[in-house]
Amino acid sequence: MKLSEHYTRTSVYITITVLVIGAVIYYFAIDYIGRQQLDRGLQQQLTEAEEYARSNNGNPQQYDLDQDHAVFVKTNEHLLKKRFFDTTYFNPKEQRKEAGRAVEDFVKLKDHNYRVVITISRAGQKDLIELISIITLTLLAGLLAVLFITNKYLLNGLWKPFQLTLKEIKQFNIADVDQFKGKPSKVDEFTELNEAIKEMSLRVTHDYLNLKQFTENASHEMMTPLAVVTTKLDTLIQDETLSAEQLAQITDIYSSVNKSSRLNQSLLLLAKLENKLITEEGPIGLETILTEKMLQFQELMQNRELSFQYNLQPKQILASKYLVDILLNNLFSNAIRHNNPGGVIVIELNSVQLSIKNTGAANALNGHQIFERFQKGKDSQGTGLGLALVKNICRLYHYTIQYQYEPGWHTFVVTF
Amino acid sequence: MKILVIEDEQALRENITSYLNVDGNICESCSALTPALQKLSDYDYDCVLLDIGLPDGDGFSVLEYLSTQQKNEAVLIISARNSLDDKLKGLNVGADDYLTKPFHLAELKARLTAVYRRKAFNTSNKLVFNEIAIDMQGRTVEVNQTPIILTRKEYDMLLYFIANKGKVISKNAIAEHLWGDEMDMYDSFDFIYTHIKNLRRKILDAGGKDYLTSKYGMGYKFTEG
Repeated sequence: MKLSEHYTRTSVYITITVLVIGAVIYYFAIDYIGRQQLDRGLQQQLTEAEEYARSNNGNPQQYDLDQDHAVFVKTNEHLLKKRFFDTTYFNPKEQRKEAGRAVEDFVKLKDHNYRVVITISRAGQKDLIELISIITLTLLAGLLAVLFITNKYLLNGLWKPFQLTLKEIKQFNIADVDQFKGKPSKVDEFTELNEAIKEMSLRVTHDYLNLKQFTENASHEMMTPLAVVTTKLDTLIQDETLSAEQLAQITDIYSSVNKSSRLNQSLLLLAKLENKLITEEGPIGLETILTEKMLQFQELMQNRELSFQYNLQPKQILASKYLVDILLNNLFSNAIRHNNPGGVIVIELNSVQLSIKNTGAANALNGHQIFERFQKGKDSQGTGLGLALVKNICRLYHYTIQYQYEPGWHTFVVTF
Repeated sequence: MKILVIEDEQALRENITSYLNVDGNICESCSALTPALQKLSDYDYDCVLLDIGLPDGDGFSVLEYLSTQQKNEAVLIISARNSLDDKLKGLNVGADDYLTKPFHLAELKARLTAVYRRKAFNTSNKLVFNEIAIDMQGRTVEVNQTPIILTRKEYDMLLYFIANKGKVISKNAIAEHLWGDEMDMYDSFDFIYTHIKNLRRKILDAGGKDYLTSKYGMGYKFTEG
C-alpha cells in the first residue's frame, strides 16, 4: 500500500473516532444545558404560581384555569421534596402530546397542603438539538470528503520530489559518468534526502573507481612477474646440458604458472562481471557457435571415445561473443572432463533453453555448491571458477542456469 | 629484421632481446615512452614490441605517433591487461596484433614473424625453408615440389616451428599456441605428440629431412638442418 493510502486511512479513522466521541459529548452537553435552562424557567413559574396562590387567598386553582400546565392538588402529605422530571406535555393549541419538562413541589396555603405540578413543552429544545446534530453530521461528512481529496491530490503533489528522486536512484548506474543530481525541492526533508544520496553516490562511485583501478593494477602487477617466470623458463630450456629430470621439473613449473595466470584472469573476469564492466553486445547465432564448439572439442572427444548427440534449432541472442565463448567452453569441457570413457554428450537447443547433458558419475552433485567459487571435484585439474563464471555470465544476461541429475546423467540447463 | 622492444620490466626486456637476437635480427630496447619516441623518430624499424603500461605514459601514444608520422613499423602490443576494450582500441589505432602477458617467447616470436611477414610481403607470401615451401595465402605446403596435405593443427605447428627454428619449445608453449585457453594442459600433451608424429611422417614421406627432435618429452626442437 502506498504511503498516501496509509496516511489517508489513518487520518480518516482518527477523524471519525474523534468526531463521533465529540458529537456524543456535544449532544449530552447541549441536552444538559437545555434542561438547566428549562428548569430555571420552571422554577420561575413555580415561584410566580406560589406567590399568586398566596395572594389569592388559598385558591390556587385560579392560577391556571385550564389546568393545562399548572396543577394544584390537595394532599395530606407533609413533606414532599421538590423535583424536576421529564414527562409529556399536551399542547392545547395543536392538540397533541409533546415531550415536556415538569416541576413538582409542596406548597402550604393556610390550612391545606397542596402538591403543585407545572409542565412546559420541551419540543423547542428537541428541535434545536436535532438541528445541531444535522449540522454536525454534515460538517463531519464534509470534513471527511475534504480530507480524502486533500490527501489524494495534495499529498501526491507533495511527494512528487520524492518520486523524482526515486526514479533517479533507479536509473543510477555506477559505471556511468553521469552523477546523481536530485531536483531541488522546497521541502527541507527532500532536500536533505537528495543531498545525502548525492554524497553517498559520490562515495560509492569513488570506491568503485578505486576498486576498478585496483583490479586493473593488480592484474598488471601479477601478470608481469608471471611473464618474467615464463620467459626465463623459455630461455632456460635452451640449455643443452639440462637433464631429463630437470626438464620434467620445468614442465611442472610451466603448468603451475599457466594455472595461476588462468586463475588470475578468471578472478578478474568475475570481478568485471559482478561490476557489470563488460558492455559490448552483438547478435549471436547460438546454433552456429555450438556447431563450432563441437568441432573445436572434437579431438578431446575422440581421445576419450565420447560422442555427441544433438538437436539444434536456430536461436539468436544478444550478448558478448567473448562471454558466450567462455560460457560454452566451460560447459563443454565440464561435460567432457567429468564423462565416462565411451560416454555421450547430448546437446539440445530451442528458442527457450539450451541443455547440455552428459553421462558421468553415478551420484548427483550439490546443485547449489557447484556454482560457488573454488568448489571443485577432488581430482579436477580446473581452477574451480568455471561454473562460477557460467553462473555470473547467465546472471548478466538474465538467463537462469540449473543443474539436474537423473541416474547416470548430469544436465546443465540454460533458460533464456 | 630490425626490432624495437619497449618494455619497462628489465628481466622481461632482456629475455626478449636475447631470444630475438638470432638469425641476423637486430634487437634494440628501451624502458620508457620518451626514449622510445626518440628512437622511433631517429631510426626506422621493421617491428615494434610495445608494452601498454609504461612508467611515463600510455603505450597507445606510440601508436598515435607512428600513425601521425606515417611510419610503417609493424606493431605487436604486449600487455598485462587482458581486456577486450584495450585489445580493440590497440588494433583500431594501428597495432597489428595483441599478446597478453604471460606469454611464451616462442609465441612472441611466431606472432612477430607473422605481423612482419604480413606487412613486408603483402602479396607474394611464400615462405621457403630448405626443401619446404609454404604458400601462406593458400595455406599449402610443398616438400621438394611435392604437395603434402597437412591438417590445420599440423600447418600451424609447422609455421610455429619454423619461426622458432633452432630453439627448444616446451610442450606447454605448443599447447597454448594450438589450443589457447580452451583446454587443460594435461589433456593437450597427448595430442601434441600425435600431431608432431604425423607432421614428421608427412615431411619424411615426401623426401624431406627430419628436422624435429624431442627433448626428453618436455619439448621439441626444430633444427636448422
